[in-house]
Amino acid sequence: MLNRKNPPSLGELTDISFVTPELVKCTPTLPLYWMKKVPNATSRIDFYFEAGTSVGSNVISVLTSGLLFSGTKDKTSTQIHNELDSLGAYFDVGLGFETAIVTFYALNEQLPAVVKIFFEMIENATFPSTEVEELINDRKQKLQINLEKVSFLAQRKFQSLIFDGTNYNRTINLEDYNSVSREEIVSYFENNYKKGLKKVFLVGDLKEEEVSSIANSISSWAVEKQEKSKLNFQNKVETFHVEKANAVQTAIRIGKTLFDKTHPDYFGFIILNTILGDFFGSRLMKNIREDKGYTYGIGSYLSEIKDSGYFVIGTEVGKEVKEATLTEIRKEIEKLQQELVSEEELNLVRNYLLGQTLKSADGPYALMELFLSVENQNLDLDFFNDFIHKIKSIQAEELRELARKHLDWNSFSIVSAG
Amino acid sequence: MIQFERFELENGLKVLFHKDITTPMAVVNTLYDVGARDESEEHTGFAHLFEHLMFGGSKNISDFDTQLQMAGGESNAFTSNDITNYYDVLPANNLDTALWLESDRMLSLAFTEKSLEVQRNVVIEEFKQRYLNQPYGDVWLQLRPLAYKEHPYKWATIGKELSHIEQTKMEDVKNFFAKFYNPSNAILCIAGNFELATIKEKVNYWFGAIPKGLKPPRILPKEPIQTEYHELTIERNVPANAFYYAFKMAERKSPEYYITDLLSDYLGSEKSSNLYISLKKEQKLAVEINAYITGSIDEGLFMISGKLNEGITFEAFDDALWKELQKATENELSEKELSRLKIKLRTAKEFQEQGLLNRAMNLSFFELLGDANGVNEEQEIYQQITSKHLIQVAKNLLIKKRCSLLKVKAIANAE
Repeated sequence: MLNRKNPPSLGELTDISFVTPELVKCTPTLPLYWMKKVPNATSRIDFYFEAGTSVGSNVISVLTSGLLFSGTKDKTSTQIHNELDSLGAYFDVGLGFETAIVTFYALNEQLPAVVKIFFEMIENATFPSTEVEELINDRKQKLQINLEKVSFLAQRKFQSLIFDGTNYNRTINLEDYNSVSREEIVSYFENNYKKGLKKVFLVGDLKEEEVSSIANSISSWAVEKQEKSKLNFQNKVETFHVEKANAVQTAIRIGKTLFDKTHPDYFGFIILNTILGDFFGSRLMKNIREDKGYTYGIGSYLSEIKDSGYFVIGTEVGKEVKEATLTEIRKEIEKLQQELVSEEELNLVRNYLLGQTLKSADGPYALMELFLSVENQNLDLDFFNDFIHKIKSIQAEELRELARKHLDWNSFSIVSAG
Repeated sequence: MIQFERFELENGLKVLFHKDITTPMAVVNTLYDVGARDESEEHTGFAHLFEHLMFGGSKNISDFDTQLQMAGGESNAFTSNDITNYYDVLPANNLDTALWLESDRMLSLAFTEKSLEVQRNVVIEEFKQRYLNQPYGDVWLQLRPLAYKEHPYKWATIGKELSHIEQTKMEDVKNFFAKFYNPSNAILCIAGNFELATIKEKVNYWFGAIPKGLKPPRILPKEPIQTEYHELTIERNVPANAFYYAFKMAERKSPEYYITDLLSDYLGSEKSSNLYISLKKEQKLAVEINAYITGSIDEGLFMISGKLNEGITFEAFDDALWKELQKATENELSEKELSRLKIKLRTAKEFQEQGLLNRAMNLSFFELLGDANGVNEEQEIYQQITSKHLIQVAKNLLIKKRCSLLKVKAIANAE
């Protein structure tokens, strides 16, 4: 008989096999990680260069990453793009604090040829001044547009408080583009790309010899390993408002310096953060969106950087409810510090996180993402088995303790823009 | 190639099943054949607001999301001018939970006045966040009524104006549900590592007893053939002048649709494309330029949009653009150029179909168009396109009197 009143019984989490990619050593210091079992014809390769915004001048880092495809002694940028497009390849250049990441997507049969074009492009790059000027012009327009967005203004100010006093503070102003010289870009490129390749990640059903040939070709770009001193991050505790006339919404960012995956409180904090603001059923979503209707969305997350990390709550709310939203966010945090999470809610979050962990290991691309997220901190995929164990075993007392320890309202940097 | 099975319940619910033995997850995708084009002009934004309300509780279940999260899953939905699509992704061994939830909200909604009130506010904030509080955010609100005079594509999914959302009443919502949310107006697609017999049994169990309802007839005002050029200039506090050229194009089911899509790739989807090279790289008139299509089921729009370089007038750009468009109606593409466009499409499709959810959504959408297997046939259609096809379509498409141009003029910031 059809029973709609009670939920169907739930299954146990099935075993997850966390598959580690194979390690191919291009040089003793340059690893290529290869996920070779892919059930379709797609492939992807990521090159990580020591060229993020915290490395050297950030405006030069930004421009250099934007000029990698701008031409060689034999080819114009248009010719390069034409060749890549003729192989059906897509590319993306991402810029983080530590690394610049060049990614290619192509059918696996085309990937070796794509890497060959990339190789020539880097080896023979010339940085034509017309291309440099054009990019500066483009970036200035883009920045001007971004400066009209309250979310951009709030995030930018927030990061300057989080990274106060370090070279992670990556605020770029329009006038910074005026004093750039082509020579700085060339020299940055020589040091941080041609001698700056840190690691490579490959997903795709390629032939062994194709992969070793890729590994050989790029070995001369390997970065020389040198131990970097640990950076000390400490957010500046301050409440700041960025004025933006005529805005109908106000963007809010609240957070502080925290830690990365190696910290003993990491797992517990991730579970706590899920309850607070990291899924659709989180307390912040339930209160500020689903009960009050103040916003289209609100969320919180832990963002990781080298040897550290920061916690942030972000939202855009109606201009007239900014103060009310701040009050409610604070209430939700204090509730976590004062009251124990109910067994019912904790169970929900356990089940949700276990299901999401299963999903996060579904297929070669997802597995590579998982691997990437731990490799960076010298951990392996066992990390996720430990996480599953923690999800199953954590208790409400520990969560309350973590909220008291890490979510003190007086330790936050608070920014609004609107 | 996406393999699938198809069956239909007695109440008219169309069901697709896609088997994938490699995944531990399941997808349940439910497409309702209703979008913003089915709204009345006095109640725009309704289909989308309704999508929000579908999470507000059904006859036997007070909270959709909580139950799905309890089963380790997640859910979301989107509304377009054409369709409303809901999807659940969860561990395969909890498939029943998603079927229970989806069937209960197809059976009957039971949200409260409070949930209507809250979702009205949420949508109003979404309206502000996406359309009002972003530079260039309102261009589609302006462009649609410029390009369309009769067809309901003249308003955006979010709605014509905030007041339409503010004025929504409980009764409107109930009528909307009764009209559009029934099995004969829906396509259900299940993807994952299951057997067909199991899927048939489960779908029958959960959905079989839902009353049939009527497939609502769709009689939309037809957009008359555009016979004169439309132009509108709006002034905004933005840093750069922006242009949006919109040309009426063929409907989704027409063979010309695919040719027009390929033409947009040729003109402006990549850095090797024609308009990018000529207008940005060589003549330095634009900082940003793209060509693309809206992908609508009824007659959609072929778009060329971007931002002008500093000091360049709209007129100078306009002259240069039309010269390039003229060339597209005359010059044949080389085989090399054609194959470049086609292999990019192949790569894009392979990557898109890599994801289980995308496969389920695509099957559902093609079933709506008439046959889920269309998803497996479209590559072949693209591969057969010749240079002559492109010229022929360009000649009928890139005509000034069929064009609507929206200019966003940057004015000095009042701050």
